[in-house]
Amino acid sequence: MNSYRTTLRRVTRSLQITARGLATAAAEPVQAAKAPRMKQFQIYRWSPDDPTSKPRMQTYNVDLNACGPMMLDALLKIKNEQDSTLTLRRSCREGICGSCAMNINGTNTLACLCRINTDTAQTTKVYPLPHMFVVKDLVPDLTQFYKQYKSIKPFLQRSEYPADGKETLQSIEDRKKLDGLYECILCACCSTSCPSYWWNQSEYLGPAILLQTYRWLADSRDHATEERKLALQNSMSLYRCHTIMNCSKTCPKGLNPGLAIARIKKSMAL
Amino acid sequence: MSALRAFSSPLRTLLRPCIAARPALPVVGVRHLGIPPLIAQPPGGIVGTVNDAVAVPAPHKTHGSYHWSFERLLAIGLVPLTVAPLVSATALSPALDSILVSSLLVHSYFGFQSCIIDYVPLREFGKVHHACMYLLLGGTVVAGYGFYKLETEDVGLTGTIAKVWTA
Repeated sequence: MNSYRTTLRRVTRSLQITARGLATAAAEPVQAAKAPRMKQFQIYRWSPDDPTSKPRMQTYNVDLNACGPMMLDALLKIKNEQDSTLTLRRSCREGICGSCAMNINGTNTLACLCRINTDTAQTTKVYPLPHMFVVKDLVPDLTQFYKQYKSIKPFLQRSEYPADGKETLQSIEDRKKLDGLYECILCACCSTSCPSYWWNQSEYLGPAILLQTYRWLADSRDHATEERKLALQNSMSLYRCHTIMNCSKTCPKGLNPGLAIARIKKSMAL
Repeated sequence: MSALRAFSSPLRTLLRPCIAARPALPVVGVRHLGIPPLIAQPPGGIVGTVNDAVAVPAPHKTHGSYHWSFERLLAIGLVPLTVAPLVSATALSPALDSILVSSLLVHSYFGFQSCIIDYVPLREFGKVHHACMYLLLGGTVVAGYGFYKLETEDVGLTGTIAKVWTA
């Protein structure tokens, strides 16, 4: 009897949820009755199926009254309702996976963290991350970026582990040194905004990878500090950074790769 | 025949070498100052398979942290040397003036060296990169000789600027 009641309650609740969903759906035409706010989006298009045709900008119009507040909402709305061939990477829709990194109105950012400019008189332009090879539309080729990340050995390297077989401990102060470093999601917004990375992508590591290098240099538990520094003792890997600071300006997570690079340089100086 | 084709298709997919392992496409890399590179670069600068890490360059004795530290010390040292003759009424003493001139020369040498590394990179320009470096070195030596004459036989750099300023 009791379980029957529980089931009944569950069913009622799910019905309520459905009703709420329906209410939202029913509310939409009411909203649409307001004057539509048509916003123009120009999106970079290029398809590998037709490699000889040049990349072009395609214009889409979206009613902002029927669209979520973020750029990713608009892009997915276009993909769902207007043009299913529009290609982009996305996953978490909340700025934690770094998939939807792209250049929106001239700034590298995550589409899911970027609000749509509600001024309908202005066109919003969307490009893939600058100076990268394009796989399709808004999807850049990040192979080199990941290969560079692999080259810095982004894992804890120790010569010995605690004898009791338990975890390697760290003081609260030492842990605090990693704040502002561990939050990096490797979306490549900073690296692809750096002119130095544009010119020497195959040799210069770029701000994102150098921030990660510093994350391991700053870790009190890591024993490979000297090897990590030795890998940077050349003119290309680290010292192509000319403190242009585009990286810190563009980071959608509000981190400061420029500061991390400066700290590496300082720790290696003299 | 069609059965064979159906079989060969997934087999070919299996045997297909990785994208990056294909022979490099005739794609030329980044254009620097509008000049295409002399040495063709692999697309995206990708060498090896997608699973290989980028090769870590061998440590360089002079082009790492020593170079950077020296560069910064020189730049910091130039600040008082440049400000001193501006605030004092007289030109710098010949010794100080010579230090200012030589620091300036080395400072600008490092600056232009950085430009060459950035815009005429060794991996893309090879011999042209080295030629640019020698040209820079030659220019610096010639300028150094000129400054040597100016310091020993004339009024020095700050003296010349003061003369031109009041002329």
